[in-house]
Amino acid sequence: MLWLYLHFPHLLLDHIQRNQESMGALAILDSARQCIVQACPTAQNLGIETGMRLKTALALAPDLNTLQAEPKQEAWLLEDQARWLYHFAAHITLVPPDGLCAEVSSLQKLYGGLSAIWQTIEQALTERRLTAWIAVGHTPLAARLLAQTGKGECSADKAHLLTALGKLPLLSAGFDKKSCTRLQRLGLNSLGEVFTLPAPELARRLSPELLARVQKIEGTRSDPQAPWQPPHIFRQRADFIQEVEHTQGLFFSLQRILAELEEDLCWRQQDTDTLLLTLQHRHEEATRLRIRTTGPEHRAEAFLKLIRLKLDQQPLKAPVTALIFTVKQFTDREVPIGQDLLGETADLDEAWHTLISRLQARLGEQALRQFSLKEDYRPECAWFAKEVLKPGQKQEKAPASLPHRPIWLLKCPKPLTQIPVAWLSGPERISGGWWDGQRVHRDYYIAQLPGGELAWVFRNHQDGWFIHGWFG
Amino acid sequence: MSKLLSTLLQDARVWQGYQHRRATQPAESTGYQALDNQLGGLGWPKGALSECLLDTWGIGELHLVLPLMQRVSEEGKTIFWLNPPHTPYAPALAREGVNLGHLVMINTQDRNDFLWTLENCLRSPVTGLVFAWPGKLASRDVRRLQLAAEAGNNLCVLFRSRQHVEQNSPAALRLELVPGEHQELKINIIKRRGSWPGQRCSLALGHRANSIDHNSVRVVQGPWPKTRR
Repeated sequence: MLWLYLHFPHLLLDHIQRNQESMGALAILDSARQCIVQACPTAQNLGIETGMRLKTALALAPDLNTLQAEPKQEAWLLEDQARWLYHFAAHITLVPPDGLCAEVSSLQKLYGGLSAIWQTIEQALTERRLTAWIAVGHTPLAARLLAQTGKGECSADKAHLLTALGKLPLLSAGFDKKSCTRLQRLGLNSLGEVFTLPAPELARRLSPELLARVQKIEGTRSDPQAPWQPPHIFRQRADFIQEVEHTQGLFFSLQRILAELEEDLCWRQQDTDTLLLTLQHRHEEATRLRIRTTGPEHRAEAFLKLIRLKLDQQPLKAPVTALIFTVKQFTDREVPIGQDLLGETADLDEAWHTLISRLQARLGEQALRQFSLKEDYRPECAWFAKEVLKPGQKQEKAPASLPHRPIWLLKCPKPLTQIPVAWLSGPERISGGWWDGQRVHRDYYIAQLPGGELAWVFRNHQDGWFIHGWFG
Repeated sequence: MSKLLSTLLQDARVWQGYQHRRATQPAESTGYQALDNQLGGLGWPKGALSECLLDTWGIGELHLVLPLMQRVSEEGKTIFWLNPPHTPYAPALAREGVNLGHLVMINTQDRNDFLWTLENCLRSPVTGLVFAWPGKLASRDVRRLQLAAEAGNNLCVLFRSRQHVEQNSPAALRLELVPGEHQELKINIIKRRGSWPGQRCSLALGHRANSIDHNSVRVVQGPWPKTRR
């Protein structure tokens, strides 16, 4: 078995930097100890090193941007990386806080050799503007040690790997401190010297755990790794060091996130119709935006247009410190039904969804309505408004005998103030609603008013006269 | 002088009566033979705005466009109703053979949204027909809508108040609608492209009142005088 290990030396830093176009020196801060954990190259040029106190760092570079490291966020980020790596490899293990381990021996045939895999992964890393140290090892632990020390090589030769491992200093082998000191007192300084010791003696004199670790590095003891399963959710986060005050500033990172979403959806062969966008503010409650398309969609461009519309409608209430983008609902992509040779219907379907989504994004979902019939005697209950749906192939068949009704119905009946000049039809008695408490007891007539309009008027049981509709 | 006159004649903006030919612009039949005849045998112009100017609702303005609505919904194209003044009554439309699945009602809050929505609907290939009830419209806005209708080759009918009759408008067809004595609709053509305006016709829309129905025989007088004390 061969394992590939990716060690991300400054994941948080990469994450921040790829969401902002240009910025000054940046350092990640450990909030508990108030010291620098990671520093970007610009900051390093200014003399800032890891482990430095915050006060010292600020004295060196007064304009230093700092961000506090949160373990939860680091875990998210690592999972983000696992998600794209899953496109290339099936068996992945997360090694918190900053490593990913993938089994690659089964992939050699697919990619055509170990070097091809190596190149693919390196390319993916550059595309995502990430820094990672890669290493190949015959055991997960061996790969990890090589990656963490930056001594990774693209080689599958076990003897070669063991020599490389043997040259590693004891301190970087990850033994506990006590055993490390004891081994050093024995005069051992490299891992190779520990490998040569007899196993029973090592367990007896030091500890069985140490032996287990050594054997796991060597590959003489099995080290099973539980495979990671990608969650069925797409979640991305962008943190802004300098708060974003205009919506335009959000689009730089949104474009990247949407491109990744498109890639992810294409890879899953799925579509989505709901995007959740959370904008976090420093002092105010987060803004939650729900962007809906009318039909399944996967293209970043279409999503971006909708988000742009939504954000144009809703100005930012406060500067944004972070942006969280979530997609939870996925639908399997439908195979277009090849009804016509030229594919015109598919185009129209798409155009319909685009138009309705655009309108809904700007006007709100409540602004668009469709009507449907309901079986009821009362005129105001014989219809209902519903959400807009793409009409199917099958035409909704109207019931055969519908009564004569006006095309305009008033939202609520209006008192009749003029005396009609002609009575044309009626009465039609409508009495019902005793079953749900909204009782209606009316005689309907069609009458022509002095203005020439035809009205649908009724007299209720209290002898009041009302107009209920117009024959438009 | 003659030079001035000939340059004026060469100017494309001067329309000359003798050049009048039968217009070949695409159009949709109105479904009423009398009106089609007055409109040069064509009907509603496609890819252009039509305006109906009327005082009140309920004079048969929707029956005028009903044949068009039936045809468009049969073709499977979407019909948008933008800011209708009352609720279009679904059972009545279904009774007239309009497929409700192809009707979409849109209500907008302000004028900018209205124009934006109308323009988007007009430019889309899925739209078959747009009815809109604008409040006030500047001439500039009408021109913008006219261009959108041309771009999408869509038919749009604007229902506006009769006080705009005197105003000039870039719409291709303008009809003044006046109710008649016997439930008919009198149509006065104020403007049409490629021909003289001023034609009049009258459409009998008495069937709206269900008056052919035998019920009407029973209520000749109506109960109104009896209930008054």
